[in-house]
Amino acid sequence: MKNTIKVERAKKNITQAELAALAKVSRQTINAMELGKYVPSTVLSLRLAEIFEVEVSTIFSLEDSDWD
Amino acid sequence: MKLNYLFPHKYKKVGWIILIPSVIIGLIAMVGNLEPAFLDVEVPAVFIDEFFGETKLIGFVHNNLLNEITGLLIIISAFLVAFSKEKQEDEFISKIRLESLVWAVYLNYAILIIALLFIYDMSFMWVIIFNMFTVLFFFIARFNWEVSKLKKSLL
Repeated sequence: MKNTIKVERAKKNITQAELAALAKVSRQTINAMELGKYVPSTVLSLRLAEIFEVEVSTIFSLEDSDWD
Repeated sequence: MKLNYLFPHKYKKVGWIILIPSVIIGLIAMVGNLEPAFLDVEVPAVFIDEFFGETKLIGFVHNNLLNEITGLLIIISAFLVAFSKEKQEDEFISKIRLESLVWAVYLNYAILIIALLFIYDMSFMWVIIFNMFTVLFFFIARFNWEVSKLKKSLL
């Protein structure tokens, strides 16, 4: 799954640490998501969407490999 | 998703404080075959099958309590170290926790299978004794290593 967390974060002009605090997760988790190493739960995805004030589908999108 | 069977974060430190001396005492007691006299007691027991003695379903046996005490302390404190929450126990940490636990169980039983096939008699008994603790130790090592790798990747 691809995501645009880093882009959305840049638009909002907040750091990984600030986003982590807002989403109530650790900075490691934000970093791992941005690097594509971790796919967040639905709850965390919805939290991020709310923080960035966009739809979940704006942040996350499927890749071909997600259908394997 | 509030229920996660974990202890509060502060117990991790308590666990380490008890675990390290308990392991040291346990190893010393084992190597030196220590049985301090003041811990020699009669204890209630079940499934009694003494060497050159009688077999009974239930009764009392002579026993030195040192290995019971160290064993219990090691297990309880290892549980605290293994299953206390991280400072911020979020869903990503939970995933690492689960993966580390699966890895630890695989490793533990892989070693046990090899030991079962190639180690016999008293030596195998030592394997069984260590095996009481190793699954927790493997988990603690793997999980903490993974978490510290993550922390380092942020520096």
